[in-house]
Amino acid sequence: MLSEFSYLEEIGHEKGDLIKGLQLIQQKEGYVSDDAIRAVAENFGMSPAEVEGVLTFYAQFKRVKPGRFQISSCDGTACHIKGTPLIQQWITAELGIKDGETDAEGRFSLQTVACLGCCSLAPVMAINGRVYGKLDRRNLVKILNEYRKMD
Amino acid sequence: MSQIKRIKVGVASCGLAAGAGEVMEALKRNAGTIPVVGVGCIGHCYAEPIVEVETDGGSVFYSSVKGSDDAAKEILALTDKGRFEIPKLRAEKEALYVTRLAGRIVPCDMEEYKANGGFEALKKAGAMKPSEVVDAIKQSGLRGRGGGGFPTGMKWSFLAAKQVPEKVLIMNADEGDPGAFMDRSMMESVPFQVLEGMLIGAYATGATKLFIYCRAEYPLAIKHLKIAIKAIQDAGLDKLPGREKALEIKIKEGAGAFVCGEETSMIASLEGKRGTPRFRPPFPTDSGWNGLPTAINNVETFANIAPILNMGADKFAAIGTEKSKGTKIFALAGDLRNPGLTEVPMGVTLAEIVYDIGGAERGSVKAVQTGGPSGGCIPAEKFDVKVDYDSLKELGAIMGSGGLIVIGNNRCMVETARYFLSFTHRESCGKCTFCRVGTMRMYETLERITAGNGTEEDIAFLEDLGPKIRKGALCGLGQTAPNPALSTIRYFRSEYEAHVRDKVCPSLVCPTLVDLQLDQSKCVKCRLCIKTCPASAISDGFVIDNASCLKCNSCLEVCPKKAIRRVPRGEGFNSNNQ
Amino acid sequence: MPDINFTIDGKPQTAAPGETILSVTRRMGLDIPTLCYNQKISRTTACFVCVVKDLKTGRFLPSCSACPTEGQQIDASSEEVVEMRRTALNLLLSEHTGDCEAPCTMACPAHASVEEYVRAGRKGDFLGALKIIKKRIPLPMSVGRVCPRFCEKDCRRNIDSKPVSINDFKRLSADLHYDSYMEDLPALNGKKVAIVGAGPAGFAAAYDLRLAGVECVLFDKQPEAGGMLRYGIPEFRLPKAILRRELDHFRKMGITWECGRELGKNLSLDELKSSYDAVILAVGSWKASSMRIEGDELAEMGIDWLGAIAEKNWNGCANPGKTLIVGGGNTAMDCTRTAIRLGGEATIVYRRTRNEMPAEAVEIEEAVEEGAKLQLLTAPVRLYRKENGKLSLVCQKMVLGEPDASGRRKPEPLPGSEFEMEADTVIAAIGQRTVAPAGVAATKRGDLEVSPETLLCTGTDNVFAAGDCVTGPKTVVESLASAHRTADAVLAFLDGRAYVPAPEFNVSRGHWSSLKKDDLVYLHEVSEAERVKPELIPLEERKTTFTEISPTIPAEKIMKEGERCIECSCTAKSDCKLKKYATLLGCDPKKYTGERPHGAPDTRHPVIIYDRMKCVRCGTCVKVCGEIINKHLLAPMNRGFKTVVGTAFNTGLPLSCKECGACIEECPVGALDWRIKD
Repeated sequence: MLSEFSYLEEIGHEKGDLIKGLQLIQQKEGYVSDDAIRAVAENFGMSPAEVEGVLTFYAQFKRVKPGRFQISSCDGTACHIKGTPLIQQWITAELGIKDGETDAEGRFSLQTVACLGCCSLAPVMAINGRVYGKLDRRNLVKILNEYRKMD
Repeated sequence: MSQIKRIKVGVASCGLAAGAGEVMEALKRNAGTIPVVGVGCIGHCYAEPIVEVETDGGSVFYSSVKGSDDAAKEILALTDKGRFEIPKLRAEKEALYVTRLAGRIVPCDMEEYKANGGFEALKKAGAMKPSEVVDAIKQSGLRGRGGGGFPTGMKWSFLAAKQVPEKVLIMNADEGDPGAFMDRSMMESVPFQVLEGMLIGAYATGATKLFIYCRAEYPLAIKHLKIAIKAIQDAGLDKLPGREKALEIKIKEGAGAFVCGEETSMIASLEGKRGTPRFRPPFPTDSGWNGLPTAINNVETFANIAPILNMGADKFAAIGTEKSKGTKIFALAGDLRNPGLTEVPMGVTLAEIVYDIGGAERGSVKAVQTGGPSGGCIPAEKFDVKVDYDSLKELGAIMGSGGLIVIGNNRCMVETARYFLSFTHRESCGKCTFCRVGTMRMYETLERITAGNGTEEDIAFLEDLGPKIRKGALCGLGQTAPNPALSTIRYFRSEYEAHVRDKVCPSLVCPTLVDLQLDQSKCVKCRLCIKTCPASAISDGFVIDNASCLKCNSCLEVCPKKAIRRVPRGEGFNSNNQ
Repeated sequence: MPDINFTIDGKPQTAAPGETILSVTRRMGLDIPTLCYNQKISRTTACFVCVVKDLKTGRFLPSCSACPTEGQQIDASSEEVVEMRRTALNLLLSEHTGDCEAPCTMACPAHASVEEYVRAGRKGDFLGALKIIKKRIPLPMSVGRVCPRFCEKDCRRNIDSKPVSINDFKRLSADLHYDSYMEDLPALNGKKVAIVGAGPAGFAAAYDLRLAGVECVLFDKQPEAGGMLRYGIPEFRLPKAILRRELDHFRKMGITWECGRELGKNLSLDELKSSYDAVILAVGSWKASSMRIEGDELAEMGIDWLGAIAEKNWNGCANPGKTLIVGGGNTAMDCTRTAIRLGGEATIVYRRTRNEMPAEAVEIEEAVEEGAKLQLLTAPVRLYRKENGKLSLVCQKMVLGEPDASGRRKPEPLPGSEFEMEADTVIAAIGQRTVAPAGVAATKRGDLEVSPETLLCTGTDNVFAAGDCVTGPKTVVESLASAHRTADAVLAFLDGRAYVPAPEFNVSRGHWSSLKKDDLVYLHEVSEAERVKPELIPLEERKTTFTEISPTIPAEKIMKEGERCIECSCTAKSDCKLKKYATLLGCDPKKYTGERPHGAPDTRHPVIIYDRMKCVRCGTCVKVCGEIINKHLLAPMNRGFKTVVGTAFNTGLPLSCKECGACIEECPVGALDWRIKD
């Protein structure tokens, strides 16, 4: 196994833990590269095609390196009817990235997620796990600017 | 003045998103020796961040607390300002059995849970024979709270009947319905209560392996469960009476697939595979995880177990309706004043939930959507329906897991149906033809209609294909996927007809069917809209050119004078038509 | 465990524990369609084409996976169940892109297996080609010369080049082997059919019937057999020596004909009806339409004029002098070119432009080469004889207006634009009509009226019809197509069966005009050479003699031309389950429309081709490679509508693939296949 993924050992070799293995990779690397797939396949005694088949089934896994700030735009029902489509248009207008894209500088990436479970604060988004609720255009731009400054 | 004993801040996910983290820090900075603790969610999400001050004279609540030192000081001074009282009408309608402790105790503190009656039920169960516990649950009439409504006691009896050394009990914490957050809140707020139910289930059914399948989008819930499991293991509660070995308890994180809420999909996912469902029978209780007998219950179902044993099955069965016993937690969201969680006895009316509890204004609501993408829309005229498993089904909706989205008069029902199909067709596992291709074809048709390119045949098409997908699809996802479209056609056909016949979105929602218009008489020429417009569609003369306008509402949002509004397509200026 | 008793379609059945409903139906001999069920691998339950209904619960069950329960009542055949299966298939078809048959085959009215005979020709097997051709084209020598080549118009080589010269494969194959090849003839079965009209339709019907053991006798009013091939099409396009050779073969097959026999004169329909088991009317469409102008009677009628010259065998016919031919169809071209060969000076008068002329472009081109003049956008108004004895055709200039029902722009007269053209001969070649024999019902248009269910002529109980007299004047190959249908109906009638037209089902990637080169599958390298050109005889000879205008293109050139064929049809068309069941259930590939998976077929592997646009996502290949071969090289990727079968890192099948072909063997469609055709 490629030594850079030797931490997979801690999960063991049970095929039932394949998803856990992929989650560990993504947690450490931010995404799952081809090499990581090969390493996972070897660890669990599977073919790379099988691993890729499982990986591509789940929305959580990323095959390309995401931006430093990962925006998860919630498109749950409550958020949707309260304006997620507009929120996303505004994000696109501000950052020049659409759903699933990362900007050229590797700074922001945008992903639509099913539901963050904060429906009472709709519409919401999360940036690197931190949830922002009751978004409107003004506070959205403010939040994005804060992250821009942070970078 | 009353003495402050302790200060509790609601720091469940929604509280945190509203700024409870800052509130807690501010309080800690100013509270001196008074303990400031984080608790879960009391359900009044609209009032977050919420602070409860425990005094020797009882509790005082504050709502919408700011995360500043000044605000903290005011609270410590027990100011009258910003005090929060649970609305009377709401308190009358609610019945807090399962959520009694939510937001009232420190979630991961086992001692506090015990001090509030925690693990009494487990003790009680341990004194009974496992079959007696199953009987008690049967007697209570508890039905699965995940949506299907299958009697829990019955399911447990199937698993209990299996005479094999290893059995599996799974907690479905994959709350996938967009718009539902009861389970998240319960796991975050009362993880011990949820786990106690699971331990009792393991005792009753003879399960040896316990899996919790939780969606990865709920990091706080996972964290709390992990702490709680550790505490349970440390306390030896995982070694059930009469068992030699301790239970194996594992949390598995989902990886983002709605279909994994379906039990055979969840099992496949727990086996490390693609989460595709399989045909039943064999049922999981016969052959589930790695071939072992397996039962799956949802979080809220498990959360019901301890209260049932504590109050007695008979008393539980006295709550609710004849076929739907006990209470149900609903997650209220959408167009209403007081979104949040509420626990009500089965059989209250939708009107009571939406208007009395949710605070929605009568006349402002068009419909509610229950059951998420699997459910349907119920129009306001039908709000006198008693909420239970069967009557909602009759209306073309389902109880579902408890998500209840209130849809205001200004929303488009066709667009709502389109949204749900866009969700289900993406979440389809891709295995069976009816769901994989059928939901896609329905989605495309709804896209066409909302884009103003639909025809009458498109409505007929949905009405023809929808029922076939219902009948033909392999699993619950596909079988229910047409519901949002079919129920909105059933109750809001005129909206569909307006889209296809007149190419008008009556609610002015569907972007290709609206124009934006600036009312010059209200405009103060501040140029904010011009600066904001991402498409440069507003001229220096303050005219919006709908040929380039994205209908993104940016200008509408920034206009200080509300001079911009959405109008039917063709009523705004469009340079292409000149 | 005890056996399980239940019913299927009301019939009591017994199943062993664990046995599926599908397995029981197969024992019963009931063929429930399924694409994903495969005994060799674990259950997939994906296609849902095998659904049955549980009558007690109202639920639909995939019979491949559902085991019966005690007392269950299964509906496996009702229209409701079939409609569910049809829906599943239609949904699969809505994303299934490919070509069952090549577009040339579909374009051929007689559905000759074009790709197959072109491939045989490419390999130099012209006898093999002839055998394939003759299944649908029993007159390949004639059709190989006169066919307007519907197939070539839809040839995909039109995308980037010119179509394959398909018809020349037919002509060469027939020229080389026609005389030496004899079909396997079954013994006569005692049934006898009389055919009135010994033209292409009559002979084609006789051919089919004889190959089914039916004795046939043809009757024709003309002195010689051949119909339009003999009396309509001039010698320079179809030499009559060749036609005689071609017809001679029918005699060798035991088909006989009597000439000079005309209905109502020396032939009685009633007698035929009673002395034969069935009668086929294939009398053609011979009545020339008039111009409906004043002085009409002064004009020659195109088809009659050609017929009179044919009767004289293109010998000793008068020079028509200055000739005006009114019309723009193939008959007009034949008149024009005949007039020129007789020494005349020919001008074609047509009311639209050259683009709208219904004649084949090549015919127009050759006519012009031979000296024909075109008087376009001109309509005749009046014809009269001048005092000098010459004819004068008064004409009017036309302009094109809006498109009419035929899609062609409608000519409208330009007021005040009348002018006169002087001529020795005026020929009206503007169309023909059918003249129904006495006692046979006709449609409004004048063609014979036949029942669409039985193909029997209205009001008769054993008289059928075929060819132009049913369809109105059409091409030779279309009359063959009609004759095949009629022969099928006659055979059903003779057997006492109901006539069921062969169900037609085909999936197409689309017309070439909507496609790009990359959209197609290339199994072999396609030659970039230019389309082969026939070598015409010298122009002077063309203008003055009736010699055939071009000799047959030799074999080596035709074989090279074959290299230009893409071979568009599906490699799996003969054993595709989707096609089989879609045909059986009367599916419509256009019933549901929407996004389809796109992307070119994966041809990176040297011998295995993977075309994901044909894949039905049944997952069989994945399981075969994993469960049987234990290689796990294929896996389902993504989910929902985007689900595809893929390889690791989308790099195509890796070298570790043993090319065992197990996945290909089990693929229910043609998504995975060898990169060859036999």
